[in-house]
Amino acid sequence: MDILITGLITGSMLALLAIGFSLIFGVARIINIAHTAFYMVAAYGIFYFSIRLGLNPILSMLISVAFVTLIGVLVYKFIIDPIREHEGAVLIATMTLAMFLQEVILQLFTGDFRSIDFMIGGYFTVAGYKIFYQQLLTFGVVLIMLLAIWFLLMKTRLGLAIRSMAEDREVANLMGMNESRLAMITLAISVALAGFTGAVIGPLMVLNPHMWMEPLIIMMAVVVLGGLGSIKGSFIAAFILGFTEALVVFLVPTGAFLKGPVALIIMILVLLMRPEGLFGVAFEEER
Amino acid sequence: MLLEIDHLMVRYEKAVLINDISLGVDNGELVSLVGPNGAGKSTTLRAITGLVAWEKELKRRSTEGDIFLEGMVTFNGERIDQVPAHEIVRRGLVLCPERRRPFRELTVLENLWAGAYLGKSKTKSEENLNKVYDLFPVLKDRSKQISGTLSGGEQQMLAIGRALMSEPKLLCIDEPSTGLSPLMRQEVFDKIMQLKGMGITILLVEQEVSTVFKMTNRNYVLSSGKIIAQGSGEELLENEIIRKTYLGL
Ligand SMILES: Nc1ncnc2c1ncn2[C@@H]1O[C@H](COP(=O)(O)OP(=O)(O)O)[C@@H](O)[C@H]1O
Ligand SMILES: [Mg+2]
Repeated sequence: MDILITGLITGSMLALLAIGFSLIFGVARIINIAHTAFYMVAAYGIFYFSIRLGLNPILSMLISVAFVTLIGVLVYKFIIDPIREHEGAVLIATMTLAMFLQEVILQLFTGDFRSIDFMIGGYFTVAGYKIFYQQLLTFGVVLIMLLAIWFLLMKTRLGLAIRSMAEDREVANLMGMNESRLAMITLAISVALAGFTGAVIGPLMVLNPHMWMEPLIIMMAVVVLGGLGSIKGSFIAAFILGFTEALVVFLVPTGAFLKGPVALIIMILVLLMRPEGLFGVAFEEER
Repeated sequence: MLLEIDHLMVRYEKAVLINDISLGVDNGELVSLVGPNGAGKSTTLRAITGLVAWEKELKRRSTEGDIFLEGMVTFNGERIDQVPAHEIVRRGLVLCPERRRPFRELTVLENLWAGAYLGKSKTKSEENLNKVYDLFPVLKDRSKQISGTLSGGEQQMLAIGRALMSEPKLLCIDEPSTGLSPLMRQEVFDKIMQLKGMGITILLVEQEVSTVFKMTNRNYVLSSGKIIAQGSGEELLENEIIRKTYLGL
């Protein structure tokens, strides 16, 4: 039961992170190492606004997501966009950004572990297992978000443009789609998704300035397993890894430390056996 | 003239792809641009639709080598050589690219909607969709199918249909018959004649010279980035040297 709950929550959270990460890679070929750092900043944001300032939790969440998105857009405009066609430079820049955000958090909040109160208390029991209402709430909200992003991508004009751009930038250009504007919008959506994930999952987590690393590794594993650039792949792979993780933690009592290595092993195995992932698109040269 | 290219020059690093060409297409005409492989036909179409300039900008950013692009392109009375690719479409100059390039992961219908991205209204786009379906009934039958699974001929129909969704004044089509069966080729050419009949001006790049010369008003022969001859199909075929050396007939 625990595995089911944890697996579902971790899986859906990973899916949100991985989809955001895939989106901006697909549209602008940006590998954003700072993706989960944005997730961390949003989690700290909700801690700061709701615990330190005593604001309403929902309001804190909205402010955090908006704040993180703003940082993301500014960083993109002034740092990433000018060097975007240099994949290596982008990688280094986003990695530096992640560490920079980590140091800022360390300065502002120290390295102490922090936690955020549950928004709703209480639990109920099913077959002897405790299920907290907070867990249920988080899962529900994340699912709604997944549905919303699916709707955006599959059913709207913007979503069509994003998917077209992800597949063939040049032809998308020929359809009148403005590449740099779409890249900016996609980046904002991607960072907002990371921020949102951090804000909703925050109450179930212990916050610390290094909390971006582990999800980064696992998210990368998800993206590799699902196939870089494939939204559907990210989604399915996220749940596979979410459950694997929960299972590891369940079977090996001290397993929490194994989460990262297990993800890495899966990633390496996939890269060795099926580099394009489950649903990978073997990227065609653009010309 | 609807389209006028004046002293166009394209260089990639030291390689000269287009060496000072000038040509024009008048309203309602079907004009072909023919010539051997690597003559610069696709580059010409890519230059006038803004793709070379776009690539130049990407290269500039990645410092991956330089593209040199010069010359004047006028479309419908306005200069467009400084206009970005995604704006040129809006003005009615549309390219149906080489190798068809449908969005392979999208359905046929989604591809057509992508073509209507700049559509003025939903009703207008739906009208256009019906026109495209009338012209290519196979696209209607397969509207829900993933485009990557279509046959080559169907993909070409899709690529043309997608381009039509943006209501082109001038449609540039790059090698639509390449890689298709003889039967399919004939069908593609029939469709192109239908488009001409509908009043769409067409600039056609093709290898299949003998068929194309029967359809066109005028033709340009390109070789090594230069226009080496122009005229009606008959005129060009009369010239022994052109026929043997450049058209391979
Ligand atoms: N991106 C590029 N960089 C360098 N050279 C290119 C590039 N694209 C095409 N070329 C070269 O330019 C010449 C013209 O190409 P192209 O316009 O595609 O010819 P065509 O369409 O007539 O076959 C060819 O020799 C080709 O090798
Ligand atoms: Mg060509």
